Amino acid sequence: MTTGIGGDRDFVAEVLAEPGGEHLLTCMSCGTCAATCLVHRYEPSFNPRLVLRRAGLGLSQMVLSSSEIWQCSACDLCYPRCPQRIHISGVMRAIRTVAIRQGYAPPGPFPEVDEAKCSGCAVCTRACPYGAIERAAREIDGQERSIAQVDPTLCQRCGLCVAACPSRAISIAMSLAPFSDGELLLRMGAGGWLDRPGWLAGGQGEARILALVCQWSIHADSDWAALDGLQSDDLRIVSLPCSGRVDPAMILLALSRGADGVLVVGCAEGECHYLRGTYQGRGKILLLAQLMQQMGLPAERVAFAESAALDRAVLPRLVRELRTRLEALAQPLPTTAKL
Amino acid sequence: MDKIKLAVYWASSCGGCDIALVELGEQLLELAEVADLVFWPAAMDFKYHDVEQMPDGYIDVTLFNGAIRTEHDAHLAALLRAKSKCLVALGSCAMEGCIPALANIQGPERALRRAAVETPTTDNPTGVLPAPCSALPEGVLTLPQLGAQLLPLGDVVPVDYTIPGCPPNHDQVWRALQTVLSGMLPSRGAFLGVDPRTVCDQCSRVREGKVHVDRFVRPHEIIPDPDRCLLEQGLICAGPATHAGCGALCVKANMPCRGCYGPPDDVDDQGAALLGAIVAAMDGQSDAETRRVLGTIVDPLGTFYRFSLGASLLQRLQALQMGTSPCLHAKGEEAHV
Repeated sequence: MTTGIGGDRDFVAEVLAEPGGEHLLTCMSCGTCAATCLVHRYEPSFNPRLVLRRAGLGLSQMVLSSSEIWQCSACDLCYPRCPQRIHISGVMRAIRTVAIRQGYAPPGPFPEVDEAKCSGCAVCTRACPYGAIERAAREIDGQERSIAQVDPTLCQRCGLCVAACPSRAISIAMSLAPFSDGELLLRMGAGGWLDRPGWLAGGQGEARILALVCQWSIHADSDWAALDGLQSDDLRIVSLPCSGRVDPAMILLALSRGADGVLVVGCAEGECHYLRGTYQGRGKILLLAQLMQQMGLPAERVAFAESAALDRAVLPRLVRELRTRLEALAQPLPTTAKL
Repeated sequence: MDKIKLAVYWASSCGGCDIALVELGEQLLELAEVADLVFWPAAMDFKYHDVEQMPDGYIDVTLFNGAIRTEHDAHLAALLRAKSKCLVALGSCAMEGCIPALANIQGPERALRRAAVETPTTDNPTGVLPAPCSALPEGVLTLPQLGAQLLPLGDVVPVDYTIPGCPPNHDQVWRALQTVLSGMLPSRGAFLGVDPRTVCDQCSRVREGKVHVDRFVRPHEIIPDPDRCLLEQGLICAGPATHAGCGALCVKANMPCRGCYGPPDDVDDQGAALLGAIVAAMDGQSDAETRRVLGTIVDPLGTFYRFSLGASLLQRLQALQMGTSPCLHAKGEEAHV
């Protein structure tokens, strides 16, 4: 492929010079990437083939000002399928780097690190699926310290680092920013839904379920519309950027307030937008259930369930199943057990 | 200047916090110059009625170590609270339940049976258990009643300051005492004798930051590289989720941090914070692999909450369940009433 006549050749050269961008012009526009793309399934307007095509043609304004260059979540499902072996998320990253250099701002907010609290423990750098966090030596108040730093060109805003930081040093600093701790608590119904008496504790109605759902599981507006009738006094649905964003302390808090059960819904295996995000989500729920069981608490009160990319109507069934399991906890014990 | 009146008490504890005070060594002589000890059962001969006769607020500072397990512990906590201007929770038991709170996992009856009958060194052929009231030919013996859950001091009475640690490092105890003696106290509720941030901040081991552990191990299973992060070698090190203050003593001895200084500032549940840090360190590119790797963790509850179970959200959930357990089982019967 060659650059189009009249295209911005400087822009093409700039992308090609970035690490990862060198394969821009080997794309033959077959569209295999778009057919594989997870984001494309939810956002049909996002098409990696078109982004690469336009960039290759040197349509710099069109590419750089579009929201699409920021939408690729670098899940890399397209990479092994591309017949030209283009690492497409690498090309996207190169384009983003050029965009940032030219003054385009990536859509934030990005996680920020509180230097006063950061111990440089490297938990966040391990949690980040993209290697977007590095620790850098800094001199603060005359003391040499190692502080985490987030690279916005690599960050996909999955929130895994925010959930993982044991010091709460890394957060989405903007007050009530989407998916910040405060905003999640608000949507969980703190002060309202979350603080009404649980069904297991003698409340009315049915077992009350808090569903923490990966945003990719119910992404399209039509999916949310279908859930409108489902949300009730007994069900609260809160979206997370990724199931790996769940904070175990937040789940325990919800259970100790008014939720009888917490259901975490994440992507199916191999379909996570954030590489290993779903496994971190599963891992946390697995361990949490084990802790509860050891403590003599019903492990049924926390559950992880998969929702594959095209499983649009799965949530009502998952909620129903969990509710059945919870309500079984309140059944009278068999007579033999009573003795 | 008048000497201040200092009291030290132990409730449900091992005595290690009293040892930490004795470890002050020659500094005890300095302490004696500025403070009168008015009550310290572990070291000197005082009686409870000596305390009962003091007017309220008579003691300037009480260092209270140990958790609240019995009604006697709760009584002394209330008594010393009333008699003290400043009540300091000394050590992990008073702060967050510590090791004794692990008995809450299976409850006081199970703990009693284990301690009085089952341990290999116990010879108790009739299986007699300590009871609040035992009638014997010689008379009636009484023991204080055990609570349903062992509680941190702050769950029973208001606490002014906390010195964490199991036991607190004696240097930190000295620093905390100097703060108290200087009268330049921070705002109520603060930690005394700690450093900012977590144990990792004081640990000089190299952290690669990208290593993903494919098997968690216990300290006796490997000889760890003394220069590399212990968590990255598969040991469950509580350092990332533990308040700094000890100077990273255990990791300097090539042992993983056990978490005795409690959670970092602004973190309520240490075990949940450690759980997140552990999951972030694991390998796992499939559901089966995630299960396999996490399955190598032996006793997650006792490991993540070794010191902080008594102050955890899990303990709160257990208390709620105990309070509502009749309801848990009565739901289905309501229909028949």
